[in-house]
Amino acid sequence: MKRWFALAAALASLCLLPSPQASADETSVTLWHAYGEAEARGLHEAITAFEAAHPGVNVTEVAVPFGAYASKLESAIPTGNGPDVFIVAHDGIRTYVDGELVASIGPIPTAVSDDVERGYLDAFRVDNVLYGLPIALKCTALYVNEALLATPPASLEEFRALAPVLAPGVSPLAFETDSAYYAAAVLHAFGGELLDATGHYTFTGPSAERTVAVLRDLVQQDVVPQDASGALVTQLFASGRAAAAISGPWLATDLPAGLRYRVVPLPTVGGHRMRSFVSVEGALLARGARDAATSRDLIAFLASPSGALPRALIGRQTVTSNAVQADARVANDSLLSAFRAAASHSVLMPTHRKMRAAFEPANRALRKALEGEMPIRVALAEGAHRFEMITRETMPAQNPTVFLVVVGLLFLVLTIVSIRKIADAGMRARIRRSWPAYRYVLHAALAIALLVILPLLVGAATSFFAGHGRDMHFVGVANYVDILTAQGGPIFAHGSFWLVLLVTVLWTVLNLLLHVSIGVALALALHRPMLKMRGAYRVLLILPWAVPSYVTALAWKGMFHRQLGSVNAILSHLGVEPVSWFAHFSTAFAANLATNTWLGFPFMMVVTLGALASIPNDLYEAASVDGATSWQRFRFITLPLLGPALAPAVAMGAVWTFNMFNVVFLVSGGEPDGTTEILVSEAYRWAFTRSQQYGYAAAYAVLIFLLLVGGNRLLSRNTEPVGGTR
Amino acid sequence: MKQSSTRAVLVEVAIHFVLLVAVCAALYPILWVVSLALAPSGAPDARALPIPDSISFHSFASVLFRQNSSGTWVFAVQLFNSVVISLATSFVAVAIATPASYALARFRFVGSKAGTSLLLFTQMFPGVAASVPLYLLLDSLHLLDTRSGLILVYATSAVPFAIFQLRSAFEAIPREIEEAAMVDGATQFGAFLRVALPAARPALAVTGLFAFMTAWNEFILAATFLSREEMFTVPLLLNSYVSEYSAAWGNFAAGAILVSIPVCVLFYALQRQLAGGLTSGSVKG
Amino acid sequence: MAGLTLRNVKKVLGKTPILHGIDLDVRDGELVVLVGPSGCGKSTLLRTIAGLEVPDEGEIRIADRDVTHLPPRERDVSMVFQSYALYPHLTVRDNLAFGLKLRGASAQTIEERIGEVSSMLELTPLLERFPRQLSGGQRQRVAMGRAVARHPALFLFDEPLSNLDAALRAEVRVEIKRLHDRLHATTIYVTHDQVEAMTLADRLVVLRAGRVEQIGAPLEVYEKPRTLFVAGFLGSPAMNFIPASIDSGIARAKDFAVHVPASIGGPTVTVGVRSEDVVVAESDGQLRFVVDVVERLGFDCHAYGKVGDVSFVARLNGEVARTAMRGTVIALNVRDGKAHFFDVQSGDAVQ
Repeated sequence: MKRWFALAAALASLCLLPSPQASADETSVTLWHAYGEAEARGLHEAITAFEAAHPGVNVTEVAVPFGAYASKLESAIPTGNGPDVFIVAHDGIRTYVDGELVASIGPIPTAVSDDVERGYLDAFRVDNVLYGLPIALKCTALYVNEALLATPPASLEEFRALAPVLAPGVSPLAFETDSAYYAAAVLHAFGGELLDATGHYTFTGPSAERTVAVLRDLVQQDVVPQDASGALVTQLFASGRAAAAISGPWLATDLPAGLRYRVVPLPTVGGHRMRSFVSVEGALLARGARDAATSRDLIAFLASPSGALPRALIGRQTVTSNAVQADARVANDSLLSAFRAAASHSVLMPTHRKMRAAFEPANRALRKALEGEMPIRVALAEGAHRFEMITRETMPAQNPTVFLVVVGLLFLVLTIVSIRKIADAGMRARIRRSWPAYRYVLHAALAIALLVILPLLVGAATSFFAGHGRDMHFVGVANYVDILTAQGGPIFAHGSFWLVLLVTVLWTVLNLLLHVSIGVALALALHRPMLKMRGAYRVLLILPWAVPSYVTALAWKGMFHRQLGSVNAILSHLGVEPVSWFAHFSTAFAANLATNTWLGFPFMMVVTLGALASIPNDLYEAASVDGATSWQRFRFITLPLLGPALAPAVAMGAVWTFNMFNVVFLVSGGEPDGTTEILVSEAYRWAFTRSQQYGYAAAYAVLIFLLLVGGNRLLSRNTEPVGGTR
Repeated sequence: MKQSSTRAVLVEVAIHFVLLVAVCAALYPILWVVSLALAPSGAPDARALPIPDSISFHSFASVLFRQNSSGTWVFAVQLFNSVVISLATSFVAVAIATPASYALARFRFVGSKAGTSLLLFTQMFPGVAASVPLYLLLDSLHLLDTRSGLILVYATSAVPFAIFQLRSAFEAIPREIEEAAMVDGATQFGAFLRVALPAARPALAVTGLFAFMTAWNEFILAATFLSREEMFTVPLLLNSYVSEYSAAWGNFAAGAILVSIPVCVLFYALQRQLAGGLTSGSVKG
Repeated sequence: MAGLTLRNVKKVLGKTPILHGIDLDVRDGELVVLVGPSGCGKSTLLRTIAGLEVPDEGEIRIADRDVTHLPPRERDVSMVFQSYALYPHLTVRDNLAFGLKLRGASAQTIEERIGEVSSMLELTPLLERFPRQLSGGQRQRVAMGRAVARHPALFLFDEPLSNLDAALRAEVRVEIKRLHDRLHATTIYVTHDQVEAMTLADRLVVLRAGRVEQIGAPLEVYEKPRTLFVAGFLGSPAMNFIPASIDSGIARAKDFAVHVPASIGGPTVTVGVRSEDVVVAESDGQLRFVVDVVERLGFDCHAYGKVGDVSFVARLNGEVARTAMRGTVIALNVRDGKAHFFDVQSGDAVQ
């Protein structure tokens, strides 16, 4: 017992161990970014220079994980836990302004205003207030493998001519044709745009159709490989299996040292220059920055030539400073100068709040049209409809009085009922007898109430609100009505709650069937006492459980990759054509299923092994004496006794599978076209990728909860109550 | 006689065959990750057998010896954080869950049924909805960006499942041994502490392992609550290899393997208890 | 000095009364066996004495100390459980020492007691083993040792032999008897096995449905059962009961007639006859016994059959025990004074 106390004390002191912090007399500025290694190094050099120029100032850089960046800014800044300065792309500026995350930096410092183009400076201006300064640009350009192509083709049409010329297995060009981000370059060449200035989705009409037609031809004529993901583009270009690639500066960091390539601005299409999107990365002043003056200085320094130079040279960023572009070391760097040139042809990413929401429907429309699943026009129209659905106008605010009265009455009734119960003498006596037990459960009850149930209740309460991010208003049960009526469309319309529910149920049932049957089968095999290497088998079969699920989910996604994945490699050894796993519902669903089965069977196997061990051996002996065959022994002894032992595990597994977010999100990501989405991942999308509609997401969460509670009640009516023994 | 022994051999061979196939299926994705981590290019490549042409430990080295811009050995710091947080989580979760589950297994008291249902319900509510309120809560407790805050959140989220597990473990312990202890001179609490608790050790170990895993593998909450690099846990480090524009898959894979090893070792050490701890009946005699 | 006193102990579980006011006085050093069919409340009574259950009414005194509301640990009792309840995580030595340690005994005392107990119960070679490494009989001995080591004021045994096989049971039974003879500790022993009850008890307490039916020395209870229930419960084979009507000093039934003491009136009576209390009659007997099945046990035999329409078991020896077979008709007499008479309504014995 003493040992344990000692251990606890040691752990507690380790937890409280202070981490190094800036000394108090220094001015401290915190800067957040989501850069990868190289860019972070360049940024650090720039900051070191800033610190040298400002003695007594200490800048803390935090590389925030990219996946959590946006939501972190949103939650940290208003509560005073955020950075003083943060680096983001300009297209989210309106969200940051609306969310009151940023503060004015005042007028443009002269050192910057003369050095940076007006358009880039205005990227961070909303309603004539400037919130930050541009520091770098991200756009795409054409990478050309010099060993394969002596001169870079000037147009997409020239690439078409290259297809027969190049060695077999080498594509003339690689880029992500089914990504709206890349397709937009063609769209812009034809005078179209994804979203107009008023926030209308405009990936429809003649120029959009022409864009898709061009891309489809490129794929069909084997100019560009099918379903090229970012990883595939990198892989093909790096290994010389694509003569050229359209990508951003990030591609360069993944290319091997020996590869000879050059970067040029994008080619033309139909006589027009392709114009990619350009995002301007800027350093923004966070609202509530502790030392606003120093923070402003830091922002100005990063945007100035002296802050830009190390970022360009070390981080290889396409910086906005003209002076740095003129610097000989930068100008002679083909990569930097090419991207700078490409940027000048590019289209500034719109800053409308709906912009981010436009990519999802556009990507889906593109994929469907390119797969030839439906005519181009139909696919585009469907995309437009989808866009309307996910960006629908925020519901009108409702007066909460009625709602509050109803809730208040319910509360009152509950109070009266519980007071009556407690007033009952028998009840009081029972409560008195329960005191000793309460001493054991008190701290668990408090901890769970405070840290589990309270947040869940608050979360559930947000389902009565609508809006984006922190800008929410009360709408009553409108979210629920909207969800349950499939937003007024047909009940089983694409992406409707009911269709997703159907998929989720199918997902849960199939998963459990596979988990249980495989788990039980393996456990029965392992249970044979005379089996050789039993321990080794058992350990190896438990392994999938021990590896973190996000790691294995990503591994499986890679394995199902059409070109790079080993599943297709195995199939091709067996003489089967490669399958585009994530292009069809059935195959994408199967990929998810395979992954989750792999993750889930060890649990059932272990539970079964435990249950088998508790079946007394003499039952089998008695049955053998009675002349039962081994099948009969299984059928009439093992199965009936296993049933009750497995029931709670199966019930728990059903809840977990129903809410298995990781696998669906990481493996298929809902592909194709959101059809493999389950309810939880759909809720996540509403919360985080569809302009932060937390209320809507919370309504999904509450519905999931109610479904599970209802299902549990329904099933446990016949069997023993769930939550029982495990 | 002869015939039946041939049959037995055939059955044995068939069972080994099935198990070998299952083992291959179980190991394949893991080997795929390993080969990715060992491949000199650090990029995935289409091949049926996950064996790289040549082996390079470059990815491992760059993960293990990664330093941040100010020269701190990030991997060591973050590994330390992960170890401390996960151990403390498992300790706190078990400490909170044990008395409660004991009470649920041993006493009949007002609210035990409702409490059990409530515990079950917490498992059904998708966590997506709770992360924002949790953030605000931790903020008001001044526990953001601290190890203790993360431990508290992880531990409490692991408690409901831990209670279910431990409750059935305690139910499987014969009541008589505690009664014997009370007759022998122990208080009710003493009987719990000196007899029931040691008798439930296998289940406690397994429950601790699961709580450890919750903390060890968790990413989303850690990313939300932590803002200082010297407080980050290893999954955040892993995630940083997959950023918006570039993905260092080789490093990711190497990091994934490093992260998985401790849990695999714990699983190996506790594999016997695992079967017993998940179903009851771990205490006999 | 009283070992244990129970006064009007009542216990209700939920709404079902389990004990209806039990009174009992146990002398110091006495071994009292509580016996009765399952569900009679004997285990509950024992647990109430131990303090594991709280009585709803009444008083419990151990060694002249009111312990009614004391927790088990303050009652100075020790208990041997049916399942032995050995601490699975402790060695035999630590199991024996557990109670002593809790009571703060010195290391030296503990050593002494363990030595004493293990030599008494032959546990010495087992001291370092864990319970799971012991056989059933060994576990039983450890459980007893654990109880003995504490030198309590009162020993409680809760069906301690029911998990053992027959041979071992007889052996341990003798051992318990020996132990008690040696320690002379006040002991309450619960069993449903009448052989244990008869052989071990200084005094028997027969319980039925939460009430005491009879208290007395084993032979006294056996020979003078106060009720039909006690008469039927003790003895193997069970006592034969024949419903009869009284006619001029003779209780009659079909093929059956015995003399009734004059004090017994009433038109009907239940006559009880133990199987061993019949002898083969020279000529006409009081009973006409028709044999159905014979169990030959060597020296004597159990003959199962009928007297009139009533099932009857007779324990016979001598020539007839060898020759009796299905269909044999034997004339039997009841030994003098060995017929028991019970009131038909109340079941109480009548003289």
